[in-house]
Amino acid sequence: MSTQERLELLQGTLDLLILRTLVFGPQHGQGIARAIQQTSEDELLVEHGALYPALQRLEDRGWIDAEWGTSANNRRARFYKLTRAGRKQLLRETTKWRRLAAAIGRILGPEPEKG
Amino acid sequence: MFRHRRKQSDFNAELEAHLELETDRLVEQGLGVKEARFRALHAFGNPTRARESFYESRRWLAWDHLLQDLRYAGRTMLNNKAFTALAALSLALGIGANTAIYSFLNAILLRSLPVSDPSSLVMLRWHTHGSEMHGMGFHDDDYFEDPQAGFTGGIFPFPAFELIRQNNSVFSSIFAYQGTGNLNLVIDGQAEQAKAEYVSGDYFHGLGVPPVAGRLLGAEDDHAGAPAVAILSFALSQKRFGEARNAVGRPILINGIPFTVAGVIPPDFFGVDADLVPDLYLPMHSNLLLDAANSYSPPARRYVDPNVDWVEIMARLRPGLSLAQAQGSLAPLFHRWEITATNSRPRTDLPRLAVQNGGRGLDGLRRKYSKPLYILLALVSLILAIACANIANLLLARAACRNREIAVRLSVGAGRLRIIRQLLTESILLASVGGALGVALAIWGTRSLTFLLANGRENFTLRADLNWHVLGVAAALSVLTGILFGLAPAMESTRADIVQALKESSAGTAHSGSVHHTGLSRMLMVAQIAFAMLIVMAAGLFVRTVSNLESIDLGFNRENLLTFQLDASQGGRRSSQLISFYHELRTRFSEVPGVRTASFSNLPLMGGGRFFTTVAVAGVNPKTSKVMAIGPDFFKTMQIPILLGREIDGRDRPGSSLTVVVNEAFARANFATRNPLGEHLTLPHECEKCSIRIVGVSGNVRQGELKEDVSPMVYLPLSQGTLGPAGGIIYELRATGNPLSYIHAAREIVHRADARLPVSDVKTQSALIDNTINQEIVFARLCSLFALLALAIAGIGLYGTMSYNVVRRTGEIGIRMALGAQRKQVIRMVLGEVIVLAAAGLATGVPAAFAASKLIKSFLFGVEPNDPLTFTATAATLASVALLAGYVPARNASRIDPLMALRHE
Repeated sequence: MSTQERLELLQGTLDLLILRTLVFGPQHGQGIARAIQQTSEDELLVEHGALYPALQRLEDRGWIDAEWGTSANNRRARFYKLTRAGRKQLLRETTKWRRLAAAIGRILGPEPEKG
Repeated sequence: MFRHRRKQSDFNAELEAHLELETDRLVEQGLGVKEARFRALHAFGNPTRARESFYESRRWLAWDHLLQDLRYAGRTMLNNKAFTALAALSLALGIGANTAIYSFLNAILLRSLPVSDPSSLVMLRWHTHGSEMHGMGFHDDDYFEDPQAGFTGGIFPFPAFELIRQNNSVFSSIFAYQGTGNLNLVIDGQAEQAKAEYVSGDYFHGLGVPPVAGRLLGAEDDHAGAPAVAILSFALSQKRFGEARNAVGRPILINGIPFTVAGVIPPDFFGVDADLVPDLYLPMHSNLLLDAANSYSPPARRYVDPNVDWVEIMARLRPGLSLAQAQGSLAPLFHRWEITATNSRPRTDLPRLAVQNGGRGLDGLRRKYSKPLYILLALVSLILAIACANIANLLLARAACRNREIAVRLSVGAGRLRIIRQLLTESILLASVGGALGVALAIWGTRSLTFLLANGRENFTLRADLNWHVLGVAAALSVLTGILFGLAPAMESTRADIVQALKESSAGTAHSGSVHHTGLSRMLMVAQIAFAMLIVMAAGLFVRTVSNLESIDLGFNRENLLTFQLDASQGGRRSSQLISFYHELRTRFSEVPGVRTASFSNLPLMGGGRFFTTVAVAGVNPKTSKVMAIGPDFFKTMQIPILLGREIDGRDRPGSSLTVVVNEAFARANFATRNPLGEHLTLPHECEKCSIRIVGVSGNVRQGELKEDVSPMVYLPLSQGTLGPAGGIIYELRATGNPLSYIHAAREIVHRADARLPVSDVKTQSALIDNTINQEIVFARLCSLFALLALAIAGIGLYGTMSYNVVRRTGEIGIRMALGAQRKQVIRMVLGEVIVLAAAGLATGVPAAFAASKLIKSFLFGVEPNDPLTFTATAATLASVALLAGYVPARNASRIDPLMALRHE
């Protein structure tokens, strides 16, 4: 699949994906990027560069914490982990997103058969 | 949030770590290191954007932009030094003048008395329709004409004070006071002139003023026969005793009578009248001792006479009561008392009591200066407006030159708001520089204005200082003006059509937005001319007022006259002894070589107040008339013509038959065409049984104030005591040359006669007269200064804008000249534009000036607000300034070389 065909992220969804990814434990930026790509079965286009300002924003809001550590292959990396406030935020955002997706789904109607 | 601020380098390290991790992963998948690195970078996108995004998130951007704007503005200002200097200077003048005038307004209108809870203080006044005066006072609100309430009295008969004190339920305390006039104060054998206030027992308690040393007065001090005690002002106690507490218990002599210092008041308390600050406070009833010799109005009789107004009354409202409630409660009481007690007031016009706010003390200063200050404030605001219009115009011109720069910035993505903000930063920075310079100017201006207004009075108490309040107003004014003159040009220049602007070959031929530019700029120029017209008009009217006042025919010769005051009654001399002392001195003064004649009087002819009393001709038909007591040769000394009979001379001695000289107005009013010589007068108040023979009729003179009309007046010999016993007098010396060169000789003579007697108020008669019109003179000078400023600023503005217009139209003018236009025609074309602008400005200014000049009518003398001469002169002045400002650019236009201009195109 070429990058052109991947889906651009909707405004504001990157934060949600980051928080969701961190549910499974502390992770560094590159790991988060890989996880999003893999979990979405390569459907989503995450420009890695955009990830870091987003991480910084979440950190500033107190939803994630960060500290430098060592990666599996012995490289220094900055690891992020979810805070208590971050978990609450994730719950709120997830609920909101599900409702939004369901509502849009209802409006669009049943998926047409592939032809 | 207090978390540790993350550094950019840390963020960059994280990005690098990401790239390494990603490269590692790709290498593991079997790619070469180079290829893997490339893929990782590709997937990352734009690292610079990430870094910028981090950078911006770390900062307060607005602050960053502000610093950037300030730096940019500073550079622009330094690059245009002439423009910056011109703009900052005109603003500094505008803001400085406004700040100085405002600091006076602040000091006069807003300051409360330095006492506890000033808002509950009230003062009592009364109003009548007519203007009957039966009393005297030293505060300048004894009787005055209030623009709204009509004739107003600030002084009451003592029985009225007693009545209200005993029958009021609205005041928690009530007190009376009155000035003493000049006293001779001797402390440790050293004499000086001092002023005191007679105060009733509740004065200090009612005002809530505590002593800083000793005790203050109470009811026990204020009755006949109480020990004579005095309270000193803090300044006096410092001056004479070194320290306040050293003064307590010390003996002092007031007019030769021993008093004991009981206490000292705090330094910031100045009494209740900022215009008359006492050195001492004495119990009201001590006037029985100090004023005992006053047989015109013996103090003992004053305490019971319901017909003599002399005490000012203030009081403190009970909590929760309003002025209206107090008035509602007391006015009927006062009215009932007036009906029964007063004997000589017309029944149909009895005084009506008014309870007024007293928290700011007596309003004499406010009445005297607040309206002039408001007028000055209006004028300086106009100057500031002209300066603003000026800078707006110059900025507009510059903005047009910067069209391309701004268009380029807009086209590469700068937000319009961002650019407006940056242009505004420039103008506010400019205004702040102007404001800072303006405050410096204001400090100087306030001092000179105080000096001008005080006009040599040592005890001038109007102190305007630059406090935080005033500085705050100046700062706000600067920012406001910055926005005012910066906003329109900023909006204009960012409105430009980008594509159009970029297409233009050079700024010189820019047309985009120029329709707006020139329209707005013309409007500004017209407004400037109209504003300047208002100021020049006002200056013209005030200058004419002063010249009218100075050319008033006084009826006597004011030149070469020396006057000074002397009060030998303070040295303990009484009646005949005093009179002969005065006469002896007069003889000695007239023997000084160079002194032609000398005389004396109880009042100066001009600049020392007036004295009215009732005069009856042949015992009937009593009328109010001005009176003066004079010495021999008075008319000769003052050079007042004697029309009939003779003047007062050595024959009119104590004991000889009583005589009087009347003026022409008196003769005309009382005798019409009959000869008044030999007729007799009586003075019902001063000398009821005296029959005073008219021995002469003199020419009319102005007495008291210049603006006053000539009125009936009688001159009585001081030595015959028909006006009561003599007190202090004024000597008048007619000199051959400069009168001031005889001061030393006069002092010497007095000193030899009695070393204890101070000679005071040594002045020439001309200076005394100038004193009475000091306010008008100051006004005329200030307004002329303002008018010059306004003309200069408006002229510079016109010149700058027209010059810019000529430069902008170089191409067009070049074409005209290439097609055969003559230099003269070009000059005429440019000047024509200026004339149209000036005409439009005058057309706007004339009706505005007509309307505005009515507001200053009460300050004018002998000239109508719509004086055609002043109007014509004003219009001519403005037209010539406009032509002058337009001529240089016009000449420059005519010198444009068509070839050069076209090549430039």
